[in-house]
Amino acid sequence: MAYLSMGEAHRRITEYLNRFSDAVSFQDGASLKQLLSVSSNSPSLLSLADSLNVFQDANRLIKQSEKYSQFGEIIAPFFRCMQSYRTGNLLDAYHAFEKAANAFLPEFRNWESAWALEALYVVAYEIRILAERADRELAFNGKSPEKLKGAGSFLMKVFGVLAGKGPKRVGALYVTCQLFKIYFKLGTVNLCRSVIRSIETARIFDFEEFPKRDKVTYMYYTGRLEVFNENFPAADHKLSYALMHCHPHNEANIRMILKYLIPVKLSIGILPKDWLLEKYGLVEYNNVIQALKRGDLRLLREALQEHEDRFLRSGVFLVLEKLELQVYQRLLKKIYIIQKQRDPSKAHQMKLEVIVKALKWLEIDMDLDEVECIVAILIYKNLVKGYFAHKSKVVVLSKQDPFPKLNSKPVNS
Amino acid sequence: MMNQGVNTQTIASADPNSLEGQYVVDVNQGQASLYNPSANESEAASWTMHRVDNHSTENGFLSNSSYHHDHQTQQLARSAQDNLNTASLASSSTQGTSVTQDYGSYAAYNPTDPYGYGSSGYSNYYNNVYQQQPNHPYSQQQPSQAYSQQQPSQAYSQQQPSQAYSQQQPSQAYSQQQPSHQYSSTGGAYQNTGAPYQPLSSIPNTGSYTGTTSYSTTYYNPGDYQTAGGYPSSGYSNQTSLWNDPNNANYTSHQYSTHAPDTTSAYSSGTAASMSMNYEQHHKQWADYYSQTEVSCAPGTEHLSAASTSNQGSAVVSGVYPTSNTQPPSSYTPASWRPESASSDLPSLQTGSTISSAHDGWKQGTPSFQNHHASPTLPHFQISLESKASHDNIQEQQKNAPQTPNSQFPAAHQMTQSYQSTLQNAPSLDTRRVSRIQIPTNPRIASNLALGLSKTDKDGPTNSAAAKPAYISVSMPKSNDKVLSNDATNSMLKPGMFPNSLRRYVERAFNLCKYDTQRVACQDIMKEIITKATADGTLNTRDWDAEPLFAIPNTEAVNMDSQCSTPVSSLPRYKRSPSRRSKSRWEPLPEEKSVDKPVSISNDVVKYDGWEKKPPSLNSESKWNALNNMKFSLSEKKLPSKNTQRPAKRQHLAGGLNAPNNDASSDSDKEQSLTAYYSSAISIANTPEETKRRESRSKRFEKGQGHRAEINYLKQKNAGAGNLYSRRTSALMISKSFDDSGSKAVEDIDWDALTVKGTCQEIEKRYLRLTSAPDPSSVRPEEVLEKALLMVQNSQKNYLYKCDQLKSIRQDLTVQRIQNQLTVKVYETHARLSLEAGDLPEYNQCQSQLKTLYAEGIEGCDMEFAAYNLLCVILHSNNNRDLVSSMSRLTEGSKKDKAVKHALAVRAAVTSGNYVMFFRLYEDAPNLNSCLMDLYVEKMRYRAVSCMSRSYRPTIPVSYIARVLGFCRTSDGNDEDSDGSGLVECLEWMKAHGACLASDDGGEIQLDTKASSSSLYMPEPEDAVAHGDANLAVNDFLTRTSL
Repeated sequence: MAYLSMGEAHRRITEYLNRFSDAVSFQDGASLKQLLSVSSNSPSLLSLADSLNVFQDANRLIKQSEKYSQFGEIIAPFFRCMQSYRTGNLLDAYHAFEKAANAFLPEFRNWESAWALEALYVVAYEIRILAERADRELAFNGKSPEKLKGAGSFLMKVFGVLAGKGPKRVGALYVTCQLFKIYFKLGTVNLCRSVIRSIETARIFDFEEFPKRDKVTYMYYTGRLEVFNENFPAADHKLSYALMHCHPHNEANIRMILKYLIPVKLSIGILPKDWLLEKYGLVEYNNVIQALKRGDLRLLREALQEHEDRFLRSGVFLVLEKLELQVYQRLLKKIYIIQKQRDPSKAHQMKLEVIVKALKWLEIDMDLDEVECIVAILIYKNLVKGYFAHKSKVVVLSKQDPFPKLNSKPVNS
Repeated sequence: MMNQGVNTQTIASADPNSLEGQYVVDVNQGQASLYNPSANESEAASWTMHRVDNHSTENGFLSNSSYHHDHQTQQLARSAQDNLNTASLASSSTQGTSVTQDYGSYAAYNPTDPYGYGSSGYSNYYNNVYQQQPNHPYSQQQPSQAYSQQQPSQAYSQQQPSQAYSQQQPSQAYSQQQPSHQYSSTGGAYQNTGAPYQPLSSIPNTGSYTGTTSYSTTYYNPGDYQTAGGYPSSGYSNQTSLWNDPNNANYTSHQYSTHAPDTTSAYSSGTAASMSMNYEQHHKQWADYYSQTEVSCAPGTEHLSAASTSNQGSAVVSGVYPTSNTQPPSSYTPASWRPESASSDLPSLQTGSTISSAHDGWKQGTPSFQNHHASPTLPHFQISLESKASHDNIQEQQKNAPQTPNSQFPAAHQMTQSYQSTLQNAPSLDTRRVSRIQIPTNPRIASNLALGLSKTDKDGPTNSAAAKPAYISVSMPKSNDKVLSNDATNSMLKPGMFPNSLRRYVERAFNLCKYDTQRVACQDIMKEIITKATADGTLNTRDWDAEPLFAIPNTEAVNMDSQCSTPVSSLPRYKRSPSRRSKSRWEPLPEEKSVDKPVSISNDVVKYDGWEKKPPSLNSESKWNALNNMKFSLSEKKLPSKNTQRPAKRQHLAGGLNAPNNDASSDSDKEQSLTAYYSSAISIANTPEETKRRESRSKRFEKGQGHRAEINYLKQKNAGAGNLYSRRTSALMISKSFDDSGSKAVEDIDWDALTVKGTCQEIEKRYLRLTSAPDPSSVRPEEVLEKALLMVQNSQKNYLYKCDQLKSIRQDLTVQRIQNQLTVKVYETHARLSLEAGDLPEYNQCQSQLKTLYAEGIEGCDMEFAAYNLLCVILHSNNNRDLVSSMSRLTEGSKKDKAVKHALAVRAAVTSGNYVMFFRLYEDAPNLNSCLMDLYVEKMRYRAVSCMSRSYRPTIPVSYIARVLGFCRTSDGNDEDSDGSGLVECLEWMKAHGACLASDDGGEIQLDTKASSSSLYMPEPEDAVAHGDANLAVNDFLTRTSL
């Protein structure tokens, strides 16, 4: 950083103060937003931070004029935040920003109109980002990262300010999405429930009136929650909504949505096209889909094992694992087709030994009891129509549609 | 007045004479046993005397015969005192100083006194007695007169005693109420005595007597207050008279004076009536509070409301103060005897514990009352203190203590508020009295501890701890008061017109300051004190030589208190997150926090604290200091680790005392009279007797807590226990930066230094959830714990026994902050045992502990427990997210572990519903995995059978089901041979679940799948128990807990 004269520093700080008070007095949300976005690394803010480091007594400047000092509660900690941020001390930056944000919130509440929503978005976003970075710093120093949690509780306060009636309600979904991000990161998704409830039960406000980007984000996260709950139809609906409304050029977001939508679709018997997987780099699903197509149990297990970490982290492992029954179904269907080719009259009678043999070819070692159990489960779950005769160890398949398709319905459980 | 009604009832129920006799006996025994053993010195004597006196006075009140009894008791007490030495006198004199303060207040009230004379009938008599006593304190005759007067009102006196007891019982609730009652009654009495008497004779006499009187009064007062405002006062007067007779006119006079002041204060103000009304209201409120909060309190409230209830209340009281109450039937015994009873009668104490909690609350409340009615409140305080001590013990035993403190605090706050408004005038007197009261309580606590030690050493410490919280809370407010007073002093100092005694006082104060911060604090305090004194016009009249020096540390103490309080509450000894514990267990802590932030604290609370503190600082600063010192020393000796806590408390008290003084000074008339008292009191305070007393007190404690006692403290006590104490406290304060908030100070405390180091050598120990700081003597050190673990592992006893033992081991480990392989072993052992017993809640506790222990890198069977954890999540929590997250946490290495592999396989089997796989895994489960699976077997079987009944046609042999579903416990499915039991069991299970069975041609039993598919159901578990193990059913549990 080039040398900065005291006068220049003074000038820049005063300029910032002027811009801030102007933005508030003209109700210019866009400018205010820029003035508060710490992590945007905008040149003006960076130079402000440098000036603050040169000119140490910024508080005096704030107190100089009533114009500035009325926002001293916000600006003074914000200055400290900028200084700390500039010097890489993210923990202090977070602390200072939290103070500024806490001072900003009552101001925002007092502003009648929602002109400062943009600025509030920035505050909500910045506090999350700074908290994440501060946590990283904390974890690096061997301390327990807890700032994100603090940011979460602050955002809950913000949500409380927005969630009522009135024009500010439009901003509630943005804050909700920021909260989702925090909760998912912290693994405390159960905390989402209260927020979701207040969003979905508020009849006063139509969900469609929220900004599109927030709706997409919201649907994405709630869809993920439904995946966890294995509520596949609901997950399908929400994630599909997110996919349809997501900006087509935002491929990263589409990929994130597909990451959950594909397993959901697979579990209700819908397979994606190969090009989709390729386009969005979701190759880890390739083998799973192949296994489903072929009835190749071994391939499925291998695919699951190969990407176990990834699937576990994203939380779709259990969903994919449940595809096993569909693979069995496919396998039986294949046997059935072969038997039909040989002897159509006896095709509906499938000996247990045959299935065991087929599994052995797949290098899967299962004895009669186990296979019998699997068949019983397949019939029980309505993946196979028919019955099992224990005495003769034969699966008797229905002559009509012995292997019903799922048709967008999840496997019975 | 409801109180009166109660009194009459109580009287009818109990014969005064018998009561007296009992009391006397009790007193002698109790005192002798308690105090004498520890120290025959003057203090003990004085205490006993006081108690005796009280009893005697009470008796006297009861009837003429009671007089005799009283005399006897008094004589006994006197003899005891005499034996003890003049020291007792000295102590009494010191007390007198406090009394003098009271007098001062009385003097102020005196104007009203004249009115009072004419006005009250029986109450007048009582009042007269009181007045006479105060007035004539020197002349024993007056007391006797008082008695005579009282005699007419023997019923009253009796009632009073009973009331006193009941009050004591209710004391928590009542104490507040009592104060009001006392005020009203005392007011009458004071009036009778007339203003002139009080100021002149009463002051001097009280000076000397107050010490004793204060004790006795405190005891009595509680009773009196409890029973009826008017009556209680008479009771007090009687007591005082008794004291006078046996001991000396002076003693009686002191007592009277103290009483009188209280009453007079109310009367004189003319607000007396209003005061009484207020008090009554307060009492009612308190009663309500008690009733609401504590059952034990309810009795007290009942007394207030109904005469019949009063008796019950007394009984309850006995439970609380317990032993004393029950033993005494005589109402008086409770207060004086309480210590004894507490020590001797643990059961009673326990019952009382709830009461005690209530008492604590009341106590707090009483302080406020005291403020208003300086004298009455003092008794209350004393009582409350006593009761606290006993209560604390009880509470600790019962573990109720934490709750009680809480309840107390709120009550106190409320009380204080109301009282403050009315009583603001009286504060100085009250504070002094309060200080006295506090002091008495401390000794009592100590005595209780000592006494209880034999039976329940642990209880004693815990009691003290329990008591502490209340104190702490009090202390906080005190600080505020002090500050106020200090400001006044500052203004005064500036003028530059200081008497020599004041200069000496200042010098003394500064001498106590070891640190600059202290010095600064001292300066501020001194300024405030002086300004106040000047404002009050007492600057020149006050006996600065006698003024307590605690004031200096007090300001610090305030901060310290807040800081210290948390530690205390948390019990420094325990290294475990003390602050947390303290908070949770000791409700006082939150208050402390509030105290830290004076602004946040309600004025009322502050006042309370201030009042309590006031007594020490006010008059007999020296005396109080001595008392404090004594107490401190005792506590220190007893509980080295706890010392920090106690000092803080004491400081609080001292601070509070100072504040009271200031308040007292506000009433110039009173102050003047007080100053006279002070001078006398001061002179007495420094007498050899006093020092002897101190020694004896300290020795008492030494005996009780001999092991831990720090001899140094004892030795130092004689010379300047007060100084030492203050230094200590100041040092503590300083260590926790003066300006810092309490919470910060807590963080700064070196908990490592305070961690308990166990000394218990018993291998077997029952688990008892801690409600207070652990007592090292009941905590086992690591070596013993190792043996204990071995013992449990090899024990043939049932799970409940082992669980209990392991819990106590875990507790001891936690208390001592031991986290090593032994800890892991203990938790692992316990987790396995609970798994075997199917006790999931207990297992979960261990599992979560183990998780953190493993995370800290302590070796153990972490794989085994990772598998358990997985199984637990899979089988019992049924939470996909948890499952995924715990799966993703498994490392590559752990996935190769046999147990983990097995757990993962089980998971796969469960998610796919593969019952064949599940029961195979069930059969060859490693470690205790099968125990966890056990809990899922029923569900799995049901799922399997319903699946089969849907999929199979037409039938399935039951033998196959039995084999596949794990009914036949054979390894390779060759179950044919062992069919017998397995098949039968399976059949029964099928029938119980509504399966349709049929025999085929070959005679083999088959499951009719089609019929069964619609008839299967999950039967209601017949012996369903929350923990899933019928062996632990309640009936079983109850029969086995007597192990």
